[in-house]
Amino acid sequence: MSLLELDAVSKTYRRGQEVVQALDSVSLSAGFGEFICLLGVSGCGKSTLLQILAGLEPADSGAVQIEGQPIAGGHPNASVVFQEHGLFPWMTVERNVEFNMKARGVGAAERRSVARDFINRVGLAGFERRYPHELSGGMRQRVGIARALTTRPRLLLMDEPFGALDAQTRSIMQNQLLDLWQDYRATVVFVTHSVDEAVFLADRIVIMSPRPGRVRSIVPVAQPRPRDRADPAFGQCVGEVLGLIHDDLRHLMGA
Amino acid sequence: MNRLLTAALGLAPLALLLALWQAATTGGWYTSVLLPPPIEVARVFGAQWPDLLRHVGASLTRVCVGLAIACITAIPLGLMIGRFKWLDQITDWTIQIFRSLPGIALIPLAILFFGIGDKPAIILITLAAFWPLIISTIFGVKSVERTLLKVARVARAGDALVLRDILLPSALPSILTGLRLAAGAGWLTVVTAEMMAVKSGLGYYIMYAQTTFRAEEIIAGIVTIGAIGLLFDQGIRLLRHRICRWQEGLVLES
Repeated sequence: MSLLELDAVSKTYRRGQEVVQALDSVSLSAGFGEFICLLGVSGCGKSTLLQILAGLEPADSGAVQIEGQPIAGGHPNASVVFQEHGLFPWMTVERNVEFNMKARGVGAAERRSVARDFINRVGLAGFERRYPHELSGGMRQRVGIARALTTRPRLLLMDEPFGALDAQTRSIMQNQLLDLWQDYRATVVFVTHSVDEAVFLADRIVIMSPRPGRVRSIVPVAQPRPRDRADPAFGQCVGEVLGLIHDDLRHLMGA
Repeated sequence: MNRLLTAALGLAPLALLLALWQAATTGGWYTSVLLPPPIEVARVFGAQWPDLLRHVGASLTRVCVGLAIACITAIPLGLMIGRFKWLDQITDWTIQIFRSLPGIALIPLAILFFGIGDKPAIILITLAAFWPLIISTIFGVKSVERTLLKVARVARAGDALVLRDILLPSALPSILTGLRLAAGAGWLTVVTAEMMAVKSGLGYYIMYAQTTFRAEEIIAGIVTIGAIGLLFDQGIRLLRHRICRWQEGLVLES
C-alpha cells in the first residue's frame, strides 16, 4: 500500500461567468518516504492539488487517501510549508515552531524541548527569541520547515517554499531539505515551477499541463544523491523535462 | 531622531502661540479682562491647584471608566464580527448609522434618561469610544493574512486558539489605533457632558468660570484639557510601541 493515493481527482472553480477546470481527473500515488515534485507552468493546478492534499479545499470528485484513510479537513499526519507569509509575525521563532504542537494540545514543557531540538536541527540556535522580520528569507523558511516537522508528519506538503529566495540561498536550502528528509523519512510533495529544482530534489517529477490541469507525464529521476548539477546526466534530465514543458507552452501560445 | 530635538520641534508652535499671546496682552490689543496675560493664568495654577486636581480627577475617572467599558464590550464583539461573516452582515448598517451620531447630540436624551451626575457622562463617553473601537477591531481581524489562517487549519487549531493566538494579535495594532481615536472622542465628550450634565470635572470648571466672569480660569481649564489630551495620546502610543514590538520595521511609525 502506498502512503498517498489519488484517484481521478477533479476540481472546477467558478469565477463569475467563467468556469475554470483546475484539475481534470488527476491520479497519482506516492510511496512511503518518496520525494515527489509537482512541476508545471502557472495555471496547471499544482497549487490546487496541494490545497486538496492539505485538506484546505475539497475535491469535486475522485478520492484522496493518506495511509488508506480519506482526508477530510486535513490529515493528522500531514504538515504544510507555505511559500511566504506562513510565519506569525507577532510570535518569536520559538513560539512559531511550537504552534503546530500547541494546536494539538502538547504540553508547554514538551513543546519547548521539541521546538529547541528542531530549531537546532535547522541551524537556527541562538535565534529562538527573534521575530520573523528580523530574519532573512532563508531563515524564515527554515523556521517554517522546523514547525512542519515537529509533529513528525508522514506527509510533508511544500508549496513553492523556496520560490522567493535568491539562487544562492535556494541551493543551500535544497541541500538542507534533502538532509532533513533523509533523517525524518517523510513522503514529500513539493510544488515548484523550477525545472532545475525538481530535477535536483525529486525521486519522481510529476509534470502537469494547464487548462484543464492534468498529469502530463511522470519522469523518474534515477541519479543517485547528492546530485551534481555539472553532471551531464543531470543536464540531460533537465533537457528532457524542459522539452515536455515547452510543448505545453507552445500549445498555450497557439504556436 | 534625537529625543530632545523631537520635543523641541513639538513644542515650537506652542511657544510661538505663547509669545503671541503675551504680545497681545502687553500690546493692549485686547482688554485684559477678557484676555488675561499668561502670568495671570499661571497664577491660577499656583493658587487653585488642589481644586483643579480634583476636577481633573473627576474627568479622568469618567473617561477611564467609559473607555474601559467600551474596551470590554467593543473588542470581543469586534473580534466576533470580524470572524463571522453573517454577524458582519447583520451588524454593518447599524454600526454605520450609530457611529455617525455625534455623542454630543445624545446629551439631552442622556440627561432625560439618567438625570444629572456620573451616569449620563460615563454612558456618553462609552458610546463615543465604542464605535471607533469596534470598527478598528473588525478591520484588524479582517485584514489578517490569509496564509496564517491556512497554517492554523492544517495544524487543526481550535477556534479559541485561532482567536487568541492569531486574530487578536493580528488585530492589535489596529485596535490600539482605535483606542487612540476612542480616547480622543471620550475626552471630547467628557468635557462637553460636564458642561451640562454634571457638577464636577474640567467642563464644569470652565462653565462655572464663565458664569463668574473669570477668563483666566477658563484659559487655565482649557490648557489643562489640552495637556491631558496630549498625555493620553502619548501614553497610548507608548503602549502600542510596547506590545507591538513585532511590528517594528514592518510599518511606518505613526
